[in-house]
Amino acid sequence: MSAFGEYKKEIMDAAHNERIRLALSRAIKRYRANVDKALKEFPQTVELAEEVREIKEKAIGKMDQLAEQACQVIEANHGKAYIAKTADDALNIIGGLVGSGKLVVKAKSMTSEEIGLREHLEEKGNEVYETDLGEFIVQKLGSKPMHILAPAVHVPKEDVARLLSAITGEELPADIEVLVATARKLLREKFFNADIGISGANVVAAETGSLFLIENEGNIRLTTSAPPVHIALVGMEKLVPTLNEAWKVSEVTWRYANYTIPQYISVISGPSSTGDIEKVITYGAHGPGEFHVIFLDGGRTELARHPELRQVLYCLRCGGCLYECPVFGVTAGHFGDKYFAGIGAIWAAMITGDREKAAALAYTCLTCGRCKVRCPMKIDVPEMVIELRKLLVEGG
Amino acid sequence: MSKKSKGLIPPGLAYVADNIISRQNLLGAPRETGARWAKELNLPKAAETIFFAGCGYQYNASLQSLMSLIRKLDKSPIGAELPMGLAGFQKKLGIDPAQLYRRLAAKNNDSSAQPLRDAVRVLENLGVEFGYLAEDEPCCGGLLHYIGLEKDFVRNARNLYENLKSRGVKRIIGIVPSCTYTLAELIPKHVPGYDLEVTHFLQVVLEGIKDRELRFPREVKVVYHDPCQLSRYLGLIEEPRRILKSIRGIELVEPDRTYGEWSTCCGGGGGFEVVFPELSQILAVNRAKELVETGAQIIVTHCPGCIMQLEEGLKVLKAKDVEVLDLAQVVAMAMGV
Repeated sequence: MSAFGEYKKEIMDAAHNERIRLALSRAIKRYRANVDKALKEFPQTVELAEEVREIKEKAIGKMDQLAEQACQVIEANHGKAYIAKTADDALNIIGGLVGSGKLVVKAKSMTSEEIGLREHLEEKGNEVYETDLGEFIVQKLGSKPMHILAPAVHVPKEDVARLLSAITGEELPADIEVLVATARKLLREKFFNADIGISGANVVAAETGSLFLIENEGNIRLTTSAPPVHIALVGMEKLVPTLNEAWKVSEVTWRYANYTIPQYISVISGPSSTGDIEKVITYGAHGPGEFHVIFLDGGRTELARHPELRQVLYCLRCGGCLYECPVFGVTAGHFGDKYFAGIGAIWAAMITGDREKAAALAYTCLTCGRCKVRCPMKIDVPEMVIELRKLLVEGG
Repeated sequence: MSKKSKGLIPPGLAYVADNIISRQNLLGAPRETGARWAKELNLPKAAETIFFAGCGYQYNASLQSLMSLIRKLDKSPIGAELPMGLAGFQKKLGIDPAQLYRRLAAKNNDSSAQPLRDAVRVLENLGVEFGYLAEDEPCCGGLLHYIGLEKDFVRNARNLYENLKSRGVKRIIGIVPSCTYTLAELIPKHVPGYDLEVTHFLQVVLEGIKDRELRFPREVKVVYHDPCQLSRYLGLIEEPRRILKSIRGIELVEPDRTYGEWSTCCGGGGGFEVVFPELSQILAVNRAKELVETGAQIIVTHCPGCIMQLEEGLKVLKAKDVEVLDLAQVVAMAMGV
């Protein structure tokens, strides 16, 4: 079967999967209600989003300088910082830091999905636990994330109960509270026994090298503070110049990710330290003594030079567009590669360089444009998709 | 089209693109077929203002039959490789496209071009003077742009402009959302000095009915489905609603959330239905369901693609008591023309 034929079979199987449809119809309904509520309670978010679009436009034009600046600040603050030109470079750096035979806890990071980090570390003989509940479910199912923020968006609660029952050997009901408590119990000891914690970041302020991490579960707090080593992998497009701008980007991100107020926002700028004994600064007090940040280029600086496709780098990864995509609504992340739906086609072209895969995704976009209406950055996905089709078909 | 380009375009679309380039219509049908709907209307060919009918409505009957064939094939075991060459498929199954079109053309005097006849009557009733190029109407080529064949699109756009200018055309009244957007927004980007004034039928109607009393023949509950290209591309969201609300006897209802700029696509966007016929049908059913849930008796929309999709959706839902009408038909009925 041709590559397109195989892809088409995959998305059609998904479209006929009633579990996926059930889970998505529930999720879409809740997302819309939540985001309406969040924007109603904080109506200034809409205007703030316009400001953030300007911040991103400027920052994307000088990502490489911002990355250099952030690296210098992080190093001066006793962290270690790296710029990885390619995904392989990033895997080598992190692989070198982790080594083998380690216990690793991971917070959810799409960038780590992008480079296949978990698989790489597992191949090197490490035990890796995804700690975001959705990602944990997906990992245990042996599946892949089906949404950038809600990786298990395609799995209804009944299926989660079946999965966790199999892991624990207990008969668990399809009661969400029970399921959450079970996952908590399963992961608790992993946080405290882990050698290394790996996270991403939602935004990075270059002036202070500060990583902003937005979450509700608390797994990011534990991942980034309990183990003795914290490694963060961040796409270069996440950089903005100042702390003040980073706050603005964060606020717009969580609001459009349908959270009125996120339970936790962590801002991490260096390794844990104390000067409480004789004012001698010592690293690794209660938090990690080692802090490593890897900024991934992976085609981003090249993409930033394209007049239309550069918009993809403005994406805050709030995931709102996915809930508005009619095709995603019946196929979930099967309409995608590492990233999903129309905008995912652009990432696929950039990341994988696989023209056939990119073309398959590009032609699965309806170009209906509802994603653009939802997008806080007003990213014109149809325009980019058509541009991508043109590049694929006519070359260039 | 070069060979290289054909490799990445899903063949269903490559087939449509070839038709546009070689025959100036989506289906590669003889052009007289498309113009047949207007035979008895005696519209002049030479005019400064032309009514641009577009492929969608003119070949609707043929498209519908072809789509139902494609869907059947897509669901069959052999269909796993569709989006392969549609033409190749036809050969495999022993279908002669020319014969298929002749057969389809024979029954092309049906109701699917009714929105065009009604639109013409409405414009005449409003006193608008216009002509129609019939078999000489060029294809807007918009789909070439959406497929990614930009060079072919630009070539087509320049030919179209020269063609229309040589006929003395100054103004275009468009009706198919996609053609209208192409003529108004896409083509001007590639044709230096483009000076054709493009308006959409809806805008002409809204302006024209200001002081009119319009009454629908019966009391009905109507839901309006926004075509993507009309609402999100051309920004015509309020206009169709104002027209519907001005018609006595019509109660306009909206689906929960999914209307206006938030409207859900019918699943027939930009050639998607040719590449993913079965998925396209699923999306049509989903959209039809959202609209049916309003309790409306009539779904009004204003795009040949949407009509085809929504009718398909209703068929699958077995919603026999709901019908799909084009806005032009509704206005014509309300005018009594």
